[in-house]
Amino acid sequence: MAYLIFSISLLLIYMGLAQLLHVQFGMLGIPNFGVVGFWGFGMYGVAVFNVQFGWPFLFALVITCLLVAILAYGLGMLILRLEGQAILCATLAFSAIVTLLVITEKWLTFGVVGLGTIQYPVRIGAATEIIYFMLLLLIIGSFQLAINKLHQSRLGRLTIAIRDNEELAASLGKDTFKTKLILFTLTSCLMGMLGGLSAPLNQFLTPNMLVPGVTFAVWIALVLGGKENTFGAMLGVFITFGLFDILVETYLPVSPEYAVMVPNFKLFLYGAVLVAVLVYRPAGILNNRQAHTRWPNADLS
Amino acid sequence: MWLLRDSVFIGVLEASPLILAAMGFTLIYYLNGFINFAYGESITYGAYFAALFNVSFGIGFYWSIVPAALLAGGLSVATYLFLFRPAFKRGVKPTEMIILSIGLSFMLRYGLILIVGAENIYLSEPPVAYFNFLGVGATNLQLIALVLVLVFAFNLYWIIYRTGFGEVIRALANNEQLAMVSGINPHKVSVSVWFIAGVAGGLSGVFSGIFALANPLMGWNVILITIMVCIVAGVGSVRGALVASVVAGILTAAITLVSKPLYAEVILLSAFVFVLWYRGRRLT
Repeated sequence: MAYLIFSISLLLIYMGLAQLLHVQFGMLGIPNFGVVGFWGFGMYGVAVFNVQFGWPFLFALVITCLLVAILAYGLGMLILRLEGQAILCATLAFSAIVTLLVITEKWLTFGVVGLGTIQYPVRIGAATEIIYFMLLLLIIGSFQLAINKLHQSRLGRLTIAIRDNEELAASLGKDTFKTKLILFTLTSCLMGMLGGLSAPLNQFLTPNMLVPGVTFAVWIALVLGGKENTFGAMLGVFITFGLFDILVETYLPVSPEYAVMVPNFKLFLYGAVLVAVLVYRPAGILNNRQAHTRWPNADLS
Repeated sequence: MWLLRDSVFIGVLEASPLILAAMGFTLIYYLNGFINFAYGESITYGAYFAALFNVSFGIGFYWSIVPAALLAGGLSVATYLFLFRPAFKRGVKPTEMIILSIGLSFMLRYGLILIVGAENIYLSEPPVAYFNFLGVGATNLQLIALVLVLVFAFNLYWIIYRTGFGEVIRALANNEQLAMVSGINPHKVSVSVWFIAGVAGGLSGVFSGIFALANPLMGWNVILITIMVCIVAGVGSVRGALVASVVAGILTAAITLVSKPLYAEVILLSAFVFVLWYRGRRLT
């Protein structure tokens, strides 16, 4: 039961990442392949401040979020004017740098030995995990509300305009770079926050948690569900993480000699699913290509 | 001074797999205009094909290079024919093409692990001899790799810049419609380019295999640096890819000599982000 709550909590974290990536790629057209970089920085930041420096969890989380925001702002200043392919490579390079530094800076992170134990911020006996799960549910729910609001606002309209034709939006007098930079910083900072929140879930951190597989799991979820819809992204997480990581890895009866191959098989299937969806259903399995024309008029008052 | 001498020497010797990979990668990037992450799997499969002939069939190391490179080329053509060309025809955009290539790369990599397992495979090498130049050593295998790389690089350079076929490739990359109007068959040219690129990737994998071993993640580990080198060198510049990969090799060797190898990667990747930024700033 405790393990199920842990799995579902992690599922919620991935859902949050997928929602934020929906804002970045689905609404703004920024192909951020450094999801694991921001998430991992947040996770390790909270762990280092909490375990090494002995700061209280909440304080560590706030400082980490600020650091991630500064980092995202700096990276955004450097790369957000570039075209999609360059942004993709630069963010991927960023996440590789984060992982490498976690391995090399042993004095801070203990390198491959691992860093622990990160306690839950509040401990109320056996109910701790369930309360933490509720907290995550609340956060993901408020993300959803905020994104719905964003879709209906003028800012949301502007993001769609930037995604579809940035030059046109700029020619209408919109500061497209500033809009992209602010939203990129904000969403990346929230990815860092989700990372910080997953630190006490994992309790013990090792660098092999920061593999590109995390980024791809979120991307596959987004592509699978359709990048233009948050529900699609959340459905995608259910299918990838929920189906493969929770159901197959934990509850499917597999004999021990094959059990070691299950994670590899999962990543193989991730790849296969990604290829199949992109070739046959480019707009995602929900396939609402016309989604943005059906939205109500923006509230101008 | 010793640092300069040693890092140039080690850098040039160890850059040979990177030179091959970068030259092959840049051809595909030039012709089709998208970043093909699955190219990393050409490198991995090159090393594994060599291991298949060398370890499983017991063929001599040098003889196993030839079928391994050809098979890697065939794999590259297969990915083009069965996945990338249909995707182009469906009008998948460049960013989505990259995601598609990453998906394919996951499929190929973990498919390989499912078949042969995740353990390292050691190629049985011919006897190793050491040579000494001005106080720095090199093995016979490293020298052979370097010579082969130079031969391959020279041939590729010749093909691209001096022959009619190279002209056709450049024509297609610059303006596909115009090239087709003048009677060039884009399909045939693309298939040959993907084949050459795959062969280069396969050779790169075989030679990385000599220096270390065959591992399912070896292609993924170098693809980011390869892409970086090609972008810094300029789109489609085989010349630039050659120079940039040698420079990257020397830089890696220099940083490794004074600190840790992982820092070399961190510094190269950060430099890459700044080069991208600098280019973008110059354009606007």
